[in-house]
Amino acid sequence: MAIMTCDSISLQRGSTRVLSDFSLEIEEKAITAIVGANGCGKSTLISVLAGDLTPDSGSVKLLDRDLEQFSLSELAAMRSVVLQHQNFWLAYSVQEVIEMGQDGPSLARVDQVMSELGIAEIAGQSVLTLSGGQGQRVAIARALVRDTPIYLFDEPFASQDRESRKALIEIFRGLREQGKTIVIIAHLADGDLEWCDHIIEKLS
Amino acid sequence: MKKIYVLASAIPLLLLIALAIGATEVNHVWSAIFAFEFNSESLDDQIIWQIRAPRVIAAILIGAILGIAGSLSQAATNNPLADPALLGTTAGAAAGVVIGVATNLVSLGSFTAVIAAAIGAMAATLFTFWLARSALQLIIMGISVSAILTALVGIAISLTDRSDLRSITFWSLGSLALIASSDLLILIAVAVIVLLVALKLSPQLDLLSLGDNAVRHIGRDPQRIRLIAFLTLSVAVAASVSTVGTIAFLALAAPHIARFIVGPRHRNLLIASAVIGSIILLLADTAARSIAPPQDLPIGILIALCAAPLLILALKKGAMQWR
Repeated sequence: MAIMTCDSISLQRGSTRVLSDFSLEIEEKAITAIVGANGCGKSTLISVLAGDLTPDSGSVKLLDRDLEQFSLSELAAMRSVVLQHQNFWLAYSVQEVIEMGQDGPSLARVDQVMSELGIAEIAGQSVLTLSGGQGQRVAIARALVRDTPIYLFDEPFASQDRESRKALIEIFRGLREQGKTIVIIAHLADGDLEWCDHIIEKLS
Repeated sequence: MKKIYVLASAIPLLLLIALAIGATEVNHVWSAIFAFEFNSESLDDQIIWQIRAPRVIAAILIGAILGIAGSLSQAATNNPLADPALLGTTAGAAAGVVIGVATNLVSLGSFTAVIAAAIGAMAATLFTFWLARSALQLIIMGISVSAILTALVGIAISLTDRSDLRSITFWSLGSLALIASSDLLILIAVAVIVLLVALKLSPQLDLLSLGDNAVRHIGRDPQRIRLIAFLTLSVAVAASVSTVGTIAFLALAAPHIARFIVGPRHRNLLIASAVIGSIILLLADTAARSIAPPQDLPIGILIALCAAPLLILALKKGAMQWR
């Protein structure tokens, strides 16, 4: 069953047509990878699925309801999002950043998620000193402490080493076993994606 | 955070020193300060309690208010360069007072002036907020709104021959000599309200630093957080501008110095910014009235001399606090 659908969506940013008559179904309780070359609109697509961007035409539905009709808090209860770039600009610690704005049940999972992602050792370190991969894992941790039916990850493997990549794949599989729906944006260069249930090639 | 409580405990000591120093020689300073009764016949008592005390207490309150306003500005815009002057808030407050005085609805140094300043500050800040489409644009729009309002106030003052409006010229430079003891109640009320609202907002200000999308993704509205921050800092700036005029640089510097002591977390940062703001303004104002008595040196000069070296020192010696 499809939990999310995009029906012939188009989106123009400035003078560039980023998405053109694009349709997509995201299967429930499965891992869907969206792959494609740089600049083909993958990140735009994840922003659309997250509800950050509204397409100029076409419809995006979550559980058969227009995404636009969801309030911010309804959307937050449905999906967690990890964007590709983190704009940390103040010297908060890793743990402080993960805990920001989280509710009680999410706060209770912080320690466990940090050790799963291999960032427990740097919990007290300033986020300004992190490598790209570490920063990305901090953002992933912010999503994973939350308990939502859908998780959207924009390029979670970018700048991750082999070990972290393996750990992330295990985490994604674990989420699927819990009945979660996972969407990841990936590069074909990210290695084999056989562990995903669906691979959608996004061609510009 | 302990360090900031140590610094805060220096404020009462500085207050006593500030009471003891001034243009007029007071013979029995300490007995006048520590006497339990106010003797209205005694010149010493009059100088210390009616002239110096309101000004010294105002310096502490306004320093704290501006420190908090600066923290709120930087948090709301995600920009370490932001301060109320750059958001149009300060110029808006000044314009509010000038319009109020020109239309005879308001007299300088009264509670109505605070209201007029608050309306002006809010209108200008919200106008900036409405114009800007991104956090970075806020700064450019704020500078522009500020420039327009400052120019209009300048024209209004130049064209008038009314003495009260003329006196605004002096007031637009900022001086704690303008304080009246009737202002103190307003300043206390505003300082308490602004601090409490800001502290209540502090977890959301932390969250805002992750960027608007990250805020939305967990179901909060970043623009709403920003709006509350702007309204709060407008009230703060209004109280300061309408009582002592425009005081530059302090709201920018205090949060930076505070951040090097307590780190970025807003719960601590807001308190630390208030303490640092108080200390700097108290030191600067005491210096302003005692370096070349009976002349009052412009407060802006002494704030610059007190705060800028501290700011440079913090940036050079401290760990990286932002990029």
